[in-house]
Amino acid sequence: MDAMIRLDALTKRYPGQEELAVDNVDMEILPGEIVVLVGPSGCGKTTTLKMINRIIEPTSGRIILEGEDVTDVNPDRLRRRIGYVIQQVGLFPHQTIASNVATVPKLLGWGKERITARVDELLEMVSLEPRIYRDRYPKELSGGQRQRVGVARAMAADPPVMLMDEPFGAIDPITRDRLQNEFLRLQEEIQKTIVFVTHDIDEAIKMGDRIAIFGDNHRIQQFATPEAILSQPANEFVDDFTGTGASLKRLNLVRVRDVDLGEWPTAISSVRREDALAQLDEVDQAFLLLVDSNRRPVRWVSRRDLSRADWNQHVGLPVRAQVPLNATLSDALDEMLTSSVGVAIVVDDGGAYRGIVDIDTVMTAVNTLRAETRERVAVAAWHAPAGAVEEGGA
Amino acid sequence: MAVTGADPRLAAEQAGSPSRLRALVSDPAKAWNTFAIPLIVLIALAALYQYLGGVELTSREAARLNQPELILRARQHVVLSVQIAAWVIAIAVPLGIMLTRPWAKRLTPIFVGIANAGQAIPSIGLLTILAIAIGVGQRGAVIGVTAYCILPVLRNTLVGIQQVDDSIIEAGRGMGMTRQAVLWRIEMPLAVPIVLAGVRTALILAVGTITLGALVGAGTLGVIINSGVVGFSNPVLITGAVLTASVALLIDWVAGIAETVLRPKGL
Ligand SMILES: Nc1ncnc2c1ncn2[C@@H]1O[C@H](COP(=O)(O)OP(=O)(O)O)[C@@H](O)[C@H]1O
Ligand SMILES: [Mg+2]
Repeated sequence: MDAMIRLDALTKRYPGQEELAVDNVDMEILPGEIVVLVGPSGCGKTTTLKMINRIIEPTSGRIILEGEDVTDVNPDRLRRRIGYVIQQVGLFPHQTIASNVATVPKLLGWGKERITARVDELLEMVSLEPRIYRDRYPKELSGGQRQRVGVARAMAADPPVMLMDEPFGAIDPITRDRLQNEFLRLQEEIQKTIVFVTHDIDEAIKMGDRIAIFGDNHRIQQFATPEAILSQPANEFVDDFTGTGASLKRLNLVRVRDVDLGEWPTAISSVRREDALAQLDEVDQAFLLLVDSNRRPVRWVSRRDLSRADWNQHVGLPVRAQVPLNATLSDALDEMLTSSVGVAIVVDDGGAYRGIVDIDTVMTAVNTLRAETRERVAVAAWHAPAGAVEEGGA
Repeated sequence: MAVTGADPRLAAEQAGSPSRLRALVSDPAKAWNTFAIPLIVLIALAALYQYLGGVELTSREAARLNQPELILRARQHVVLSVQIAAWVIAIAVPLGIMLTRPWAKRLTPIFVGIANAGQAIPSIGLLTILAIAIGVGQRGAVIGVTAYCILPVLRNTLVGIQQVDDSIIEAGRGMGMTRQAVLWRIEMPLAVPIVLAGVRTALILAVGTITLGALVGAGTLGVIINSGVVGFSNPVLITGAVLTASVALLIDWVAGIAETVLRPKGL
């Protein structure tokens, strides 16, 4: 696949500075992927990002956008092709939300009706009811809502590329989590090429298709998928930066639907007591999972519950720990730890029982993942020299 | 839509709206704030009228205190003040804008220094020098008082533009707005409230200082005050003072309303 963005030996030295702020960054960013630039403060993430839309002019190196060398083109025109979101959002306080979102379409000379339609579409996309928010001013919005407007504004003219500099950095953790999830869901639809800066490795792992880790020497230490970075850190710096919780973080990478779910004895809640007891004897478990006629989990019942004199449809423990198929293993682990039975029940979109996640499922998944990643990294390393030759020849 | 060349006054006008004007008079508390000044002026003028009716005027006093003479002087006063304000805006706002551009930033101390000097030199001295240099009359008075009033507008224009949040400008530039577009559509509208506050200060200065124009043949209500002083006449002196104060209050009142109405929404 052809790169959407190629950075070629991109280097920045600020006037009057000894040190390079960005040292020889080479990068190929593919269409539709989210690449996260992550690293400690001052390592050159923002400078790298801002050189892509030339808010900061590179000292040397080239920027290739969709195959076109844009290092020397008119920067204002270039920027209208690239969405830009910053941490402080930078909404224009004297303009309505609609007017803010319409900034780039107006610069591009779109007609009034087209702009209005597009603004409403975008506000809906970022979950802001147009009727309510269109004519408001930025100061009348919460921080999270302003950041949503910032994202909508950046997408206004449907640029193929978006640059985001710590877009969720100034937002409280709960709202940030929601915005991240919303944004990932949105990205599934819009399939933009995104360069995303953060200093938070957890955010990087969550958001990135690939992650570039910058070191204190203002160079890229490793540029790889989150899995590869977590399981095969390229050097000690990366290992330190990703932290000791790396194995646990990896659980964020696996969806419940992708692992082999465990089985649990279930019975329709109208089951006869003798049958239920017989089933429990057979499988040697302490609990039986009762489901309703649509196979939706209802209660856990134990041998003791079943032998009570007043046994009826309401004894036992209500089911709490349930996760949908698209939850991560990390979510499932969380649920599992709060569950009285020690398993998380997996349900499909209709809420029907699909299987369970227990500690064995998690361990197996972690081991498989580790093995798979090693293999993939090894394969990639095997192919790398060939790729380089090909590129050099082109 | 054109990217550049928007007019700052246009931006300010778009921001104001009739509803804002209505808001000034809608609820009683606001209406009181809005109309207190004209009411006070009205009462002061009524009191002055009452007072003048009760004193015996000499023929010299009567020659000063007749209606056509008072109207003439008051009109000169207002017209010259407004003219000065217009000159001040025409000079100080563009100068201020220019001095915030990256290429001219180094010149800022020089121009602020000159404007400072304009205000520091006693205005009566400045007016006298100008009268000697270009002759007596309104022209010298306007030039002198304009020089005296530049500083607040220049300073507020600089501050008004500089205080605009960098992230707002970066967002604009980052989306492909040109420098001009950022200036006219973002920096200037956001600076409007502060610039207007400077203009209001300059107007107050102008209305007060232009009374000195009487000494260099420019007329104004200063003429009445002056003849009151020279002729040891309390009625003339009091009339001059009350009228000057009334004009000053009314002009400031209008400027205050303009400030409210022209302030961009959303700030
Ligand atoms: N405008 C500037 N002038 C001089 N040095 C700068 C400027 N901006 C950033 N730097 C320096 O460049 C380096 C990289 O900065 P930056 O890209 O902002 O880092 P990050 O975004 O990773 O925290 C830092 O050492 C910083 O001090
Ligand atoms: Mg940064």
